[in-house]
Amino acid sequence: MLTSRRFLGSICTAFLGLFLLAGCGNREPVLKIGFVAPLTGDQAAHGMDMLRGAELALEEALSRGPLIPGCRVELAALDDARSPAQAVAAAKKLASDPDVAAVVGHLNSSCTKPASAIYHEARMLHVNPVSSNPDISRQGFDNLFRVCPTDDLQGPAGARFAIERLGAKRLFVIDDLTTYGRGLANEFIKAARVMGGEILGHEGITQGEKDFTPLLTKIKAIHPDLIYFAGMFPEAALLLKQRFELGVAARFLGGDGLFEPTLITLATPAAAEGAFLTTLGADLRAIPQAGAFVRAFEAKYGHLGAYSSYVYESTGVVLEAIRRAGRKDRQAVLAAMKQIKEYPGILGVHTFDARGDTTLRTIGIYTVKNGKFEFLQAAE
Amino acid sequence: MTPTELFLQQLVNGLTIGSVYALIALGYTMVYGIIQLINFAHGEVFMTGAYMGLALFLACGVAGAGLASVPLLLGSLALGAAGCSVLGLAIEKIAYRPLRQAPKLSILITAIGVSFFLQNAVMLIFGAQDRYVPSVVPAARWQVMGIVLTPLQGLIFAVTGLTLAVLQGVVYHTSLGRFMRAVAQDPLAARLMGVSVNRVVAATFALGSALAGMGGVLFGMYYSTINFHDGYLTGLKAFTAAVLGGIGNLPGAMLGGLLLGLLESFSAGYLSTQWKNVAAFAVLVLVLLVRPRGLLGERLAEKV
Repeated sequence: MLTSRRFLGSICTAFLGLFLLAGCGNREPVLKIGFVAPLTGDQAAHGMDMLRGAELALEEALSRGPLIPGCRVELAALDDARSPAQAVAAAKKLASDPDVAAVVGHLNSSCTKPASAIYHEARMLHVNPVSSNPDISRQGFDNLFRVCPTDDLQGPAGARFAIERLGAKRLFVIDDLTTYGRGLANEFIKAARVMGGEILGHEGITQGEKDFTPLLTKIKAIHPDLIYFAGMFPEAALLLKQRFELGVAARFLGGDGLFEPTLITLATPAAAEGAFLTTLGADLRAIPQAGAFVRAFEAKYGHLGAYSSYVYESTGVVLEAIRRAGRKDRQAVLAAMKQIKEYPGILGVHTFDARGDTTLRTIGIYTVKNGKFEFLQAAE
Repeated sequence: MTPTELFLQQLVNGLTIGSVYALIALGYTMVYGIIQLINFAHGEVFMTGAYMGLALFLACGVAGAGLASVPLLLGSLALGAAGCSVLGLAIEKIAYRPLRQAPKLSILITAIGVSFFLQNAVMLIFGAQDRYVPSVVPAARWQVMGIVLTPLQGLIFAVTGLTLAVLQGVVYHTSLGRFMRAVAQDPLAARLMGVSVNRVVAATFALGSALAGMGGVLFGMYYSTINFHDGYLTGLKAFTAAVLGGIGNLPGAMLGGLLLGLLESFSAGYLSTQWKNVAAFAVLVLVLLVRPRGLLGERLAEKV
């Protein structure tokens, strides 16, 4: 139905376009910034929060005057439904649209990785907000930039917290078999072993499955100190709920994929209580320069999403590159991006290393307390 | 946990999900038994049932978890059953009845079309995100001999067992059941004997869909989340269960469902979660190699 709606929409747009052409004969040129995230499917909550971040960044930039004189700038938002195949289709669509000058995109590492190759081939600036798999920036793509810290930082930060702060030695690791999940789990295991942790087991679950009681029962029988889960909130919620119902005593620690309030609703607050998670970046509310963003976002949309700030930041970086380029041209925008030495954003002052990764590398640690996420500490 | 306790807990885990498979498999098997149609929309009827329960809870303003209410529980099960049987009747009337004389493949494709229609309709009404389903069954935890059982699990066992008993009663001890068996054997002869084939087929769809609806309500509460595409995988597994037990056979569907649940639970518990589906489906293939008609399937006389 969505497709047919979009189809209807495109017909309307086509007619409107014809009408305008006939009316004035001279259309204002448009520069589009591509945006792709899961806008449908079980991770749509993340995707919508991300889209709002991009919209707010564009709106604020345009309120300060036009970026390129005589050229409209707008978002071209597409859905990848967290499926790598759909991500590639969306990337191809953007790459073949000459109006698209740059792209902010993809939540899941498994989507970002294949899509990035297409943006690279199209010589289009690609700023990634939150796909934290380290391999993404190790493909040698000069057009790829990333504003979040990576899992070779997040995994060890989680391991250090589990072993040193919680005193957990016997660990059981679960991941969701995705590029992100498996990558993060391996980084966690590598670091935990160095720090003297014992890995009792490492198993993968399939996204979209609902029944994890057999796995949790198995875990209950070998009573580890802590369960580490590298995956996203829908599965994490089911794991937390079933862990609670089975009475598994092991503590629960997860990665940034869990940082979404829906986690607590889906798992029920009682089952989520006391769970820990690492996030990409420090507590946004404690960063002074992020205050204006948080206020503007909450005034407009109510609740602030986990990844909204990263998309806001990515879109800001893209807009800065477009402003510097001063014209609608992929090559010029990419060249301008490479000239940006420092970008003062809401998360801090970004500089990008040779791979395109940000030098802001703080990992935050949160816990669920009284049905809400509570910031515990920042780890470098 | 001792190895025995571990085994028993995995047994409970497997029987719970197996009971849900069984409830859905009964609907597959009934429809197949009567008109030899694999109703691929059945999984979506199950999913729609879960959303009907959710809609009732939302309408009654139940937001939090752990709120136990017997009227709401009975109401949601009744709504799921009634709503889905109406849905099943409508699907049969609109999508299948006009095609009953058409080649079997046409009606199969129609079933897949209905399945897409229901998925997208639910997505447009309730949204594409996972929805939280509150439970109206007490959130207690019973410890029996070191194994954990929740009241909801007990309810799932009870509903499934009771359903099979009632169905067996209907099929073998009522006139509707006699008509059903007659139509299953030979629709033309049944009609010559004065059986209204259309009514019997409609009643079968209504019954099967009602079971799927109740299964959906229980599934939603048990996992506390529901999504518009949840009917697909669960429906596929229930279909597998029906084939495993012998499609067309009621106790077979029950046995197949429980067996599939146990296979999944034990392979995930003793091998590895990644191998859960591989192990379960490998057993299915083996069973079908040895007994092509399924575990309890009977050798039917070829119709000429």
